[in-house]
Amino acid sequence: MRSSLTLATTLLLFSVVGNAQTKIPASAANDAETIRELKQEVEDLRQRMEILEAREKQSSNANLPAASAASGQQAAEISAVPSPETANNFHEVHGFQWQGFGEFDYKVLDQKTPELGTEGFVPGSAGGFYTGDLDLLLTSRISEKANFLSEIVVNEGDAQSFNIGLDRILFKYDYDDSLRTSFGRYHTAIGYYSQMFHSGKWLQTTADRPLIMQFADEGGILPTQSVGISFTGEIPSGKLGLNYIAEYGSSDTIRAAIDGSGRLIDENNGNHIDGGLFLRPVTVPGLQIGSSFFHDNISDLERGPSVRLGQTIVNGHVIYVGRGWELLNEGFLVRHAYENIPLIYNMPAFYMQFSKKIGRTRPFFRYQYINANPHSIFSDVSLRKGPSFGARYDFDDSIGFKVQLDHTLRTEKPDLNGIQTQLVFAF
Amino acid sequence: MRTLPKIALLNCMLLCVLLHASFLKAQSTDIAVAVNLKNPVNGLTMAELRKILSAEKRTWAGGVPVVIIVRSGTSHERQTLLHLLHMSESDYKEYWRAQVFRGEASAEPIAVPSNGMQREALAIYSGGIALVEVQDIKPGMKVLSLDGHLPEMIQPTR
Repeated sequence: MRSSLTLATTLLLFSVVGNAQTKIPASAANDAETIRELKQEVEDLRQRMEILEAREKQSSNANLPAASAASGQQAAEISAVPSPETANNFHEVHGFQWQGFGEFDYKVLDQKTPELGTEGFVPGSAGGFYTGDLDLLLTSRISEKANFLSEIVVNEGDAQSFNIGLDRILFKYDYDDSLRTSFGRYHTAIGYYSQMFHSGKWLQTTADRPLIMQFADEGGILPTQSVGISFTGEIPSGKLGLNYIAEYGSSDTIRAAIDGSGRLIDENNGNHIDGGLFLRPVTVPGLQIGSSFFHDNISDLERGPSVRLGQTIVNGHVIYVGRGWELLNEGFLVRHAYENIPLIYNMPAFYMQFSKKIGRTRPFFRYQYINANPHSIFSDVSLRKGPSFGARYDFDDSIGFKVQLDHTLRTEKPDLNGIQTQLVFAF
Repeated sequence: MRTLPKIALLNCMLLCVLLHASFLKAQSTDIAVAVNLKNPVNGLTMAELRKILSAEKRTWAGGVPVVIIVRSGTSHERQTLLHLLHMSESDYKEYWRAQVFRGEASAEPIAVPSNGMQREALAIYSGGIALVEVQDIKPGMKVLSLDGHLPEMIQPTR
């Protein structure tokens, strides 16, 4: 008897719950939906009003002319939807998006014989403050497929002098994913770092660039800047994610020797060709494996005004950036083959950099190595190798602080030890 | 006599399971991938969607530039986007800053604060793509299948 009662209770319970799930009156559901949509529309209108008010205020502050004479509702709709240039990080002025990156540094270096002072650091001093690079990035959408990009850098030189330079100026036209073109001054695709990290220190984890990827005016040995044409795009390859890059351009590299001699080494570069292939496998987002080839002809003015040599630079890299990790590994072989002289120098270099973001802190480790032949045009560099380690702390999305310790071993010279602190900010 | 408490306990457990299931149903909402009506694409794979949302793939078939439209704030759509890309809000912001700085993207995604503005942006930009809660899918949006599956659509009530 009791079992029957319990069974009946169970069935009743099922039916009640079942009804609760399925038999909501249709009119009530409609009303609820209508109320929800009306609330949503009110919220939309409120947010549009805020945007329009903000724009009106901005327009009146900038003394902009009144809005164009597009007709009523359409104009309101278009103005309420942000244009493609509207950004989270970037500021917009008269169709230009811009963002600035700055830094403030303090460096201590125990060098007994002063070497090249870079970015405002006074060589020979025990330690000093400097402002490094102030970087202004401007972009503008010219049409649906055409864009403009420029990077203007105010660089601190010797005796607190400042120079303004145009690091990059590019007219970009993306036909489709298989063909993206750039015309202008670019950082060569000679390696991953050269393409991904430009003058602003904000994007870099470390306080400085690896020496092999350093710009020529700061002692770097590679032609990292050029004026020319660049093509890049995807090659149909399924999950492999194969991409190509090809460049043809003119460099005119004048290197500052880093040994403190004050020499400027003019390479008189001929036009270069540069090509590379890299994989970005779909199955491992963040992984990039690639290789590139660069060739130009340069002068060795120290051997004679007409001594020319072929410069070939081969790069291979394995990169993983994702889930807080940053693993950068790049190797180079620089080959100098003299014309009319049976002389060839093969000079290897590499760097590896590991970091992991833990909360707001990103500890990092880097090891770099350059073995330039002491009789080559890179005699000022010769053999340099050593580790760097430190950490970057981000106070928020726009202010960061880095501390870096460096130990550099040099051929026939005392080891160098340095501490760099760097405040970086984006504005 | 002993069976009564057991059956009562079983009833309670069943009730709890049913109530919990209905609660999850109410809480979880499918997210759809919506594009402009003129977009000829009908479906994407998850990998393609990730490539589009991270600007690795920047044009649709036919060369129309992709315009990514995202919800700002802490909306469900934005959380789904961050989950898809394995990024935090801070990582996402930094990622796009870097993409523009490197010239890998011409601009950051359009961030809009409401579903209505997202709908209008999708209608204006022929290459527009957005993640939209299924309940907010409206006429004028084209829903793409993802890995061959369409999201479970809620039928319009009026």
